[in-house]
Amino acid sequence: MKKNKVLLLSLAAALMLSAVTACSGNNSNNTDKPTATNAATGDNGGSEPTKEKVTYTIYNGVAGSKDGNTNETTIGKMLEDQTGVNFKLEFLVGDLNTKIGTMIAANEYPDVLIPDAAMEEVMNAGAFIPLDELIEEHGPNIKRVYGNKLDQMRSADGKLYILPIAAQVGEFIPDPEAGAGFWIQRRVLEEAGYPVVKTLDQYIKLIEDYEAKHKDEKLTGLISLTHDWRFFATANPPMHLMGYPNDGNVMINGDTLEAKTYAGDEATKKWLKTLNDLNAKGLFDKASFVDNYDQYIAKLTSHNVLGFFDYKWQVDNALNVLKDAARKDPSLDKYRYFPLPITFDESITDAYIDAEGGVVTNRGIGITVSAKDPVRIIEYFDNLLKEENQILTSWGIKGETYEVNEEGRYYRTQEQIDKINEAFNEEFGFKYYSWNWPMYGANSTLSDGNAKGVAIQPEVFQMSLTEADKAILGKYGVQTYSQMFAKPVFRPWYPAWGFAKEQNSPEIMWETKKDELTKKYYPKMVLADPGKFESVWEDYMKEFGKLDTAGYEKWTTEKAKAKVEAVK
Amino acid sequence: METNAIETTSMPPLKEKPKGIKLFFVKLLQQRALVIMSVPFLIWLILFKYVPIWGWTIAFQDYKPALGFWDQKWIGFHHFEFLFGDDRFLRVLRNTLAMSAINLVFGFLTAIILALLLNEIRKVAFKRVVQTVSYLPHFISWVVAASIIQTTLSPDGIINELLVWFGFVNEGNEILFLGIPEYFWTIFGASSIWKDIGWNTIVYLAAMTTIDPAQYEAAEIDGANRLQKMTFITLPGIKSVVIVLLIMNIGYLLESGFEPQYLLGNGMNVDYSENIDIFVLKYGIAQSNFSLSIAAGMFKTVVSFILLFVANNVAKRMGESRLF
Repeated sequence: MKKNKVLLLSLAAALMLSAVTACSGNNSNNTDKPTATNAATGDNGGSEPTKEKVTYTIYNGVAGSKDGNTNETTIGKMLEDQTGVNFKLEFLVGDLNTKIGTMIAANEYPDVLIPDAAMEEVMNAGAFIPLDELIEEHGPNIKRVYGNKLDQMRSADGKLYILPIAAQVGEFIPDPEAGAGFWIQRRVLEEAGYPVVKTLDQYIKLIEDYEAKHKDEKLTGLISLTHDWRFFATANPPMHLMGYPNDGNVMINGDTLEAKTYAGDEATKKWLKTLNDLNAKGLFDKASFVDNYDQYIAKLTSHNVLGFFDYKWQVDNALNVLKDAARKDPSLDKYRYFPLPITFDESITDAYIDAEGGVVTNRGIGITVSAKDPVRIIEYFDNLLKEENQILTSWGIKGETYEVNEEGRYYRTQEQIDKINEAFNEEFGFKYYSWNWPMYGANSTLSDGNAKGVAIQPEVFQMSLTEADKAILGKYGVQTYSQMFAKPVFRPWYPAWGFAKEQNSPEIMWETKKDELTKKYYPKMVLADPGKFESVWEDYMKEFGKLDTAGYEKWTTEKAKAKVEAVK
Repeated sequence: METNAIETTSMPPLKEKPKGIKLFFVKLLQQRALVIMSVPFLIWLILFKYVPIWGWTIAFQDYKPALGFWDQKWIGFHHFEFLFGDDRFLRVLRNTLAMSAINLVFGFLTAIILALLLNEIRKVAFKRVVQTVSYLPHFISWVVAASIIQTTLSPDGIINELLVWFGFVNEGNEILFLGIPEYFWTIFGASSIWKDIGWNTIVYLAAMTTIDPAQYEAAEIDGANRLQKMTFITLPGIKSVVIVLLIMNIGYLLESGFEPQYLLGNGMNVDYSENIDIFVLKYGIAQSNFSLSIAAGMFKTVVSFILLFVANNVAKRMGESRLF
C-alpha cells in the first residue's frame, strides 16, 4: 500500500510538472523572438569598424516569402557590409489580426513592423515611435525621396509614425502590361480580323459572334469572379466602363472632386443588364456566382472561356500558365488573353492604366517602441534609399544580373533572364528586397533615365515578348499592352480605397452592408428572367436606399479634397 | 483500498460520524492521492475556462486593444441592443438553430442506424471495410470537402449530368444548387452526415460491445428474431449513451459549425447560410469590433447553458441517466 501511494504521488507530480513545462514552453515560444533578436551578434570587425554588427527583426503582415536573414542573400550581405545591420525577416502565417493582436496584448513588437491591413490597430496601440527627428538628423535620402509626401502620412497628432512603402521618384513610367481590363481570347480577335474594340457592346458582340460560329465547342462567353472578398471583380466594372480608375466604391470627378458611389447608379444597372442578357442567351457562366477563386482560375486555363473582366494581379496565375504553354507550343497561343480598353461609349476615355497616384496612407512601415536602436534602423533605411542601392535591389549587379548598352540603357540578356528564376530571386535577395522596405516606386525614373522597376523598362519588356505577342501587338500598331489604353491621367487622390478609415466607423459599416447587399442582389439580377430584371433592381434599390450613402460620399469627398490640397 | 483499511481498523469510533467541515477534511485526508492528481486539471480548468470569463467585461465597453482596463469607455448594453435590434441577427439565429437541429436529428438517427446495421454484420472483413470507408470523410478538411461538394453540385457537375441523363432537367437549364437559398440547409445537412456518420457510429459501436452476450443468447432461446433482438436488446442497451450524448449536443445547439457554412456560402444563399459565427466574423472581428464579437459569444454561452440545464432536467424527470 505504501508503495502504491508513492507511485500515485510521483505520478501526480509528473503530471503537474509536465503541465507546467508545457505552459512555459509555449510562453517562451511566443516571446523569445523580439527579445532574442535584439541582442547584438557581437561580431566586431568588417568594413566599418566603428559599428558593431547587429540583427534586427522586421515583421511583415503580408504572407509572402520564407522567413530568413537578409545577410544570407547577396544584396543583403552587401548592405550589411555598408551598414553593419542585418535584418531577420518574418512573414505572416495565418491570421493577421491574431498575430498583431498578440503583439499588442503583450506590448512586445519586432523592431520594425509592416502591419498592412492592421495599421489602425497598431497605431491605436501606440506601437510606433515618431520618426520626425530621426529623419531630420539621419535621413537625408529619406527626405529627398519622400519629400512633402511625408506630410500626408502624419497622424492626427501631427507626428509621423510610418513611412509609405514606395514613393514615386522622377518621371512616371507606365507599366507596359495592362493592370486591368476586359480580356478576350486571342482567337476571337484573330477570327474577327483584329477589329478595334472600344465599347462594351462591341466586346459582347464579338463574343456572341464567335460563340455562334462555334456552337459545338461548348464555349463560355463570359465568366466573372465573385468569391468572397474578391467580389469586387464583378462589382467594379461599372466604374471602369464609365472611364474612372479603380477608386474602390466611388467615382471621383476630377474637377469638382465630388465622390459618387456607383453601386446604385445607372452604370451598374447597365452592366448587370448586359450580364443578364448574356445569361439569357446562355453565354454567361452562372456557376460564376458559386465558384471559388481556384475554380475560377482553373476555368480561365481551360481554353473554353472567351472573355472576362479582372485585374491582372488577380489572374496572373492563369495568364502565366497559358503563356508558358504557348511558349512550349505556339499553336496554343490562341487561347491566351488580350486586354482591351472597354467603356460604355466611344466618347469615354478609359482609365484602366494606373497613373501616378497619391500616397496610400493606410499602409506603411514603422519602427516600434520595442526597437533598441532606432537610429541604426533609420540609417539603414536611408542608406537603402541611395540611388546606387535602389539600382542594386532592383536591377542587381552590373555584368551579373543586368547590362548597360552604349546609350546608358539598362537591359538584361536572354541568358540573364533565364538565370533569374524564383530560386535565384530568393538567393540573390531580389525577393526580400522587392518589398518590405522604404523604396522607390517601381514606375520611378532613375537619375540616368532608366526605369527603377525591371519589368517597367521597355527594353526588358520587349525581350519578354514571344513572336505571337509581337504579331498581335503589331496588328494594333502598339509596342506594349498598355499602349492599347488611354494615357494615364495624374489623380492626386488616387486610389480612394487607400483612404484610412477608423475601425468601427460609419464608413466601414457602409462598406460591409453594401458588400452584403451587392453580393446578394447582383447574382439575382444577372440570373433573373430578363422580364423580371427591373423588379429585382427595384428591390435592390429599396434596400440600397436604406444605407447612408450620402454620408459615405461626403466623407470620401472631404478626404479626396484634403489629398489634393496636400499635393499643392 | 484506503477506505477499507480505515473501516476495518476503526470500527468503534464510526458511531460518532464526523460531520460538516470535519467530514470534509477527513475525506480530504483519506483521498489525498486523488486530490493531488486532480489539482493540475483543476488549475487548467480555472485558467482556461473560468479566467477568460473576465473578458466578458469587454462586451460592455467600447473596447480598444491598447488601453488598459480602467481606461476603457463603458457603454452598457449598447452592443446587445445592436445585436437584437438588427433583423439580420434574428435571421442568423434562425439559421444557426435550424442547421444545428438538422445536424442533431439526422446526425443522430443516421449514426445510430448505421451502428445497428454494422453491429449485425457477421463478416468481420466487410464490417471493417464499411467502417473505414464511412469514417474516412471525417478526416478530410472542410476546405477540401467543400471543394468536392461544390464541384459535384456545379452546373457541369455529376449530379446535374445525371439529372440531364435521366431527363429530369433540360440541357442548358442545369440547376445551380448552391445558388438556391432554400436548398442550402439540405445540402449542409447531407454533407455533414456524409462527413461525420462513420465517426459518430464509433461511440455507439463501443456501447454495443458492453451489452452482455448472455442477453442475446437468452433472446435467441426465447425465439426472438434479428429485428426483435435489435429493438429489445441492442437499443435499450445503448439508450443511456444516446441520452447523455443528446444532452451534451443540445448544449451545443448554438454551435452549428463555421467552416461548412463559410466555405459553401455565397452571396446568393446568404439568407440561409449565414450563422452566428459568420455574423460575428463579418461584423465583429473583421471590423476589429471585439466588443460585438464578445457580446454575441456571451449570448451563445448563456443560451447554451440554459439549454443544457433544461435537457438535463427533462432527462432527470423521465428517470433516465443524465450528466449531473
